[in-house]
Amino acid sequence: MDKTKRPLKVALHGMDGRSYKMMSMYLQGPCKGLAVVVDQGNEDIDIFDLDGVNGEALITAHLEKQTQKPAIVLSLHERMIENVLMVKKPVKIDDMLAALSKAKALLDKPATPIKRQDAVVGDKGNDNLDTQAVAKKADQVDEKPVLKKFVLNTDEQKKTSKHQAAMQLDEKGFGAFIGNVPGIDVNDPKQFARASYNTKEYFQGYVESAYKICHSKGQVRQLNSGWNPLIIFPHSQEIWLDVDENQLRSFSGLSINATLGSKMSITPLSQDSSTADRKLERFQSMDAFLWKIACWASKGRYPASIDISQPVYLKHWPNFTRILVTPHALRISALLIQGPRTLANVAEVLNIKPQYVFVFISAACALGLAGQVKREADVLVQSPEIKPNKNQGLLGRILSTLRGKKA
Amino acid sequence: MSQYKIIFTGPVGAGKTTAINSISDVPPVKTDASASDMTKSRKSSTTVAMDYGIMNLADGEKLHLYGTPGQERFDFMWDILVTGGIGLVLLLDNTRADPFQDMRFFLDAFDKFIVDTTVAIGITQMDLSSKPTIEDYHIQLREMGLKPPVFAVDARVKSDVSLLVQALLYSLDPGLEG
Repeated sequence: MDKTKRPLKVALHGMDGRSYKMMSMYLQGPCKGLAVVVDQGNEDIDIFDLDGVNGEALITAHLEKQTQKPAIVLSLHERMIENVLMVKKPVKIDDMLAALSKAKALLDKPATPIKRQDAVVGDKGNDNLDTQAVAKKADQVDEKPVLKKFVLNTDEQKKTSKHQAAMQLDEKGFGAFIGNVPGIDVNDPKQFARASYNTKEYFQGYVESAYKICHSKGQVRQLNSGWNPLIIFPHSQEIWLDVDENQLRSFSGLSINATLGSKMSITPLSQDSSTADRKLERFQSMDAFLWKIACWASKGRYPASIDISQPVYLKHWPNFTRILVTPHALRISALLIQGPRTLANVAEVLNIKPQYVFVFISAACALGLAGQVKREADVLVQSPEIKPNKNQGLLGRILSTLRGKKA
Repeated sequence: MSQYKIIFTGPVGAGKTTAINSISDVPPVKTDASASDMTKSRKSSTTVAMDYGIMNLADGEKLHLYGTPGQERFDFMWDILVTGGIGLVLLLDNTRADPFQDMRFFLDAFDKFIVDTTVAIGITQMDLSSKPTIEDYHIQLREMGLKPPVFAVDARVKSDVSLLVQALLYSLDPGLEG
């Protein structure tokens, strides 16, 4: 390894969790990775926050040790401390880069005895701390809760599909975006029995099955479909697929079992190919991906595994800011979280078309968030009536305002 | 005239000020002080009293948005703040040392208010730290007997904050028609 290009290993002292994180980011970002934060004991140099928790005591203890390691001290005030590199706050990039370069030059120099520090010139006259007291203070600092070690993953931030705001679909856009099934009116109670679909006949079923295999084997695997391969990363809960969204929507809505079923396979990826460079914007969260392909397979129908006459439960709220929000999905969640209900009852209580309940349940079941109530006792318990909030009018007006404020 | 308000709370740096800014119709009144922090370029100030924003509703009514000071030495103000509140938005920074401890602290501090109203939880900075996951939060909450909405939130993004507040309102009354 080219030693000249190796980042300086830095230990941070006197910083709380947030400052620690910020400094880690600052070194990796604006300071161009010239230095990287490491655990104490593995560092080339130390950085102290003089204004932080026990900053004075920590720097004094450091100087008492007469270590050869260079130290950078950050301070709000102009200070004169010998044998340290001072950087005044707010820290400017140029100042920090200069201090890091000087520290690196000092490291590269042959070791020379460092003269004993007389004292840290303090504002509060605490210059003459005796070694024992300093050591005690340093111990106290060590006893503080261990800080979460923050490692900035800049790649993660570039996975825009994973972290961007969810699409919110209203009733008008439902038909065009989700689709419908010709020859059946899923909103007609007389046709409810026919308004189901078999998830296994769709891409959704293959993806669900592939997820299970990846999780159980703990392996990165590729789902081959005769179309573009889908790569599943179970540890990071991500998938990678390089296709146009409109094509994916069409593909997800097709019953492919008869035509492509024989071509479907799931294969483990070699270490090389699983870590290969990929377009970061093509990464998506496993949940958000499965949620939307379930919506497209459903087209307003419910999964055949659900008995329409029996109640369903919702385990917890879906993460609505990162998944496709279908019409009335928040209301359906708020109602089902109060207790199990049949799908028809949900539609009736909320006064909405059943297709919106069906599509929600299809997606929620795919993620394992919803399911059929199995205990007889739960079936017998009548769903609680919802009581209108005393501020219903006001709450409705707030909702209208928020809806008009969509970004 | 009644004072309707939604309270935003959470630890320092969780994004309360930014979240209020995202949905307020007027520039929020800030009561920040300079942070004695080495990276002023990232967070130059911290809220020492409270933030305040307003959402103008259709009929001329106003919804007041209050952010609690993140610093615990101001917790004496919390009781005053929540009086008349219609719900609580709790924002948690996923990069903090122990976000579950933060969550328990704030849920405990506002427990009476939550029982009387409801809470929605937004997890910020998930693009910097993906663990704990949203599912992990639900597991913790289940142990506390709670099932509130928990969403990943970028406090700068209006639709994220809006969805969280909508979930809060629907939790109060699923029958609402916006």
